[in-house]
Amino acid sequence: MRILFHEIKKIFTWRILLLLVIANAVLFFLRIEFHISHFPNGRPSLDSYRIGIEMISKYGNDMDEEDRRDFKKTYEVQVQEANQYLQSNKEFAEAGVGTYEDFLNIDWENKEQAALRDKIMFEEQVDIFWELPERRRLMDFHETKEARVGTYKNGANPRQEARFDEMISAGHYQVYPEVVMENFKEFIFNVAIAILVSVVLIISPVFMKDRSRQLLDLQYTTRKGRELYKTKLAAGLISTLGVITALLIVYFGMYALNNTEMYFNVPIHMFIDSFSWYDPTLLQYMALTVAAIYMLGLVYALLAMSFSSMMPNYIALIGIQVPFVIAMITYGLTYLVTRIINIEVPQWVVPTSYSGMVAVSVLFIIFMWKREKHRDIVV
Amino acid sequence: MIVVKNVSKYYGNFCALNNITLELHNGVYGLLAPNGAGKTTLIKMLATLITPSQGEIVYDGKNIIHMDDEFRALLGYLPQQFGYYNNYSPKQYLLYLAALKGMGRKDSIRIIKELLEKVALSEVGNKKMKKFSGGMIQRVGIAQALLNNPKVLILDEPTAGLDPKERARFRNLLSELARDRLVIVSTHIVSDVESIANEVIMIKHQEVLYKDSVENICNTLAGHVYETTIDYGHLDAFRNRYTVLLEKQESGEMNIRFIHKGAAAEGWLSVTPSLEDVFLYEYRDEIRMEV
Repeated sequence: MRILFHEIKKIFTWRILLLLVIANAVLFFLRIEFHISHFPNGRPSLDSYRIGIEMISKYGNDMDEEDRRDFKKTYEVQVQEANQYLQSNKEFAEAGVGTYEDFLNIDWENKEQAALRDKIMFEEQVDIFWELPERRRLMDFHETKEARVGTYKNGANPRQEARFDEMISAGHYQVYPEVVMENFKEFIFNVAIAILVSVVLIISPVFMKDRSRQLLDLQYTTRKGRELYKTKLAAGLISTLGVITALLIVYFGMYALNNTEMYFNVPIHMFIDSFSWYDPTLLQYMALTVAAIYMLGLVYALLAMSFSSMMPNYIALIGIQVPFVIAMITYGLTYLVTRIINIEVPQWVVPTSYSGMVAVSVLFIIFMWKREKHRDIVV
Repeated sequence: MIVVKNVSKYYGNFCALNNITLELHNGVYGLLAPNGAGKTTLIKMLATLITPSQGEIVYDGKNIIHMDDEFRALLGYLPQQFGYYNNYSPKQYLLYLAALKGMGRKDSIRIIKELLEKVALSEVGNKKMKKFSGGMIQRVGIAQALLNNPKVLILDEPTAGLDPKERARFRNLLSELARDRLVIVSTHIVSDVESIANEVIMIKHQEVLYKDSVENICNTLAGHVYETTIDYGHLDAFRNRYTVLLEKQESGEMNIRFIHKGAAAEGWLSVTPSLEDVFLYEYRDEIRMEV
C-alpha cells in the first residue's frame, strides 16, 4: 500500500498538475465554455427551453393525446394574446397588421412593416412573438410524428424496423424540444476530449520517467523487484480514475449552471432528436456517457502505459499517441459517447468496439508485463 | 556463498562474457578490469538485472533467478549510474527505496538516520537532492545499498565522484561491512580495492584472468618489475623496447618503472610488483612495446 501511494504521488508532480490545469483551461475556453455560457443560445432556443420546462411541469415525462390538445389550446390562447397586443398597438394598426396572422405574413418589402417586426422581435424582444413560432414548430412535430417514424422506418434494416415498431406500439413519439439534449451532447463530446487528453498527458510518463532516469536498476534489485511494474500499473489506473472523476466533477459543476435538471427524468425518445435503440431517461443517458468516458479513459491509460514501457524517449512517446488520440476525437468519440445508443449505429458496433478496445489494451499491457519480467536491464 | 557456474552472456553474436566460473565467500572481492571488459555485465547478472545466456548463478545452492525476491531481500546494489528524483530529499528517497525493500516505516526511519550519519549526509538529509554534488549523490547511493543490511553487497564503481577523504572513509566502511557478508566491488581504479580486497577478480577477453589474493596476483610479475633513470632523449627508444608502467620527470632525467621478463641490465633496480603494475601489464593492449 505504501509503495502504491508512493507511485501515485510520483504521478501527480506539480509540473504535471500545472500542465493538466493549463490543458484543461485551454480546452475549456476553446470547446466547453460556449456550451455553458451560451445556453440557451439566443432565441428561439431560450423559448424552446422555457416551453420544454412548461410542458414537463404540465404534462409530466410523457404526452398523451389530451396533453397535445391542451398544448394546441395554449397556442391558440397565445395567438389571441398576440392579436390583442397588435390591435392595442397603434403603430401596427396604422401599418395594417391587426392580427398574428397578418404579423406572420408581413411584407418584407414593406419597410414600415419590416421595421415594426424588427422592433418587437429584436429591440423589445416581446416573448409571445418568439414563443408562438416555437410552439407552432412543436405542434408540427406532434402532428407529423407518426409520419416521421414511418419515413425513417421505410429506409431501415430489419433490426431498426423492429425497434421502430416497438416504439410505435409503445406510443413513444418525439414531442419535447431538443435544445437540452443537443446542448448536452455538445458539452459531453468536448468534455470527453478534455478528459482523454488529460489522461494521456498524466499517464504517459508512468514507466518512461523511471526508465529514462535509470531508476530501474535500483528498483528491480529490491525485494519488490519487477513486481513494481504491476504496482505502477495499478497507480496509473487509480490516478486515471481520480483524474477523470475530478474533471467530471468540475465540468458537471459548470454544466449545473445550465439548469437542465427539470429535463432529467424525461425519456430521451421524447426529445425531437435522433432515434435510439433503448429508452433511458436523460439522466440515465448522461450516466451512460459518463461510464463511456471512464471506459475510454481507462483504455487510453492502458495504451499510454504500454507505450510508456516501450518507447525510447518522450518525443517518440508523444508521437505514437497523437494519431490514436486524434483518430478517437475525429472518428470515435461521436459513436462511442454521444451516439452510443443511436439507432443509426448498428446495435452491435458500440459494445463490440468497447470489448475490442478493452481486450486489445489489456492484452497489450499483459504482453508488456511479460516482456518486462524477463528483459535484460542493460541501460 | 555465491557460485557463478559456467556463465556466458551473448547479445546476438556478440559475446559479453564467456564461460565464467567463480566461487565467492564472505569478504571483499575486487572486480578489476578496464571499461568495456564485461564487469558491469557480470555485476548485473549477479544483481538479477541480466539473465545469463548459458550457465547459472547460485546462492547457497539455489539459482538466484528462481530465488526471486528471496535473493533480492539479501541484496544491496549500487549501480554505476543510478537515478533519483530531483525534488526528493535523501530521506524521502531512502524511505521510498526502503519501502521497495520491504522494510517497515519505523525501522526505515531509524536506519536511514544511522546510514546518513555513516555517509556524512545527516545535515542535508532534508535538502532536495537536485542541489547535491556528484559525490553527495554517490554517498546517497551507498546508503541505499546498505538499507536492508544486505548479506550480498554489490557495488559498481562506488567511488566515482568521491574525493580522497570520502574514498578513505568508504574503504574503511567496506572493511567493516565485509566481516559478515559478501562484498563485490567493481572498479577500474586499482587503489580502491588493493588495500581492502580479500581477493581480486580480473577479467580479460570476456574470461576470468585471475581470481586470487592481491599478493598472489602481484607475484605473477615478481622479478620482472624494475625502476631505472634514463636521459630524456632515450625515452622513445626505451618505450619501444619495454612495457613502461610509470614515467616521472626528476632533475632533467626520467624515472621509469617498467616490466622486463629477461636478464636485468646494469642500473636497473628490481622492485616489488603492485596490483597496478599487473593491471597495466595485463591491459596494455594499447601500449606497443617489446617485453
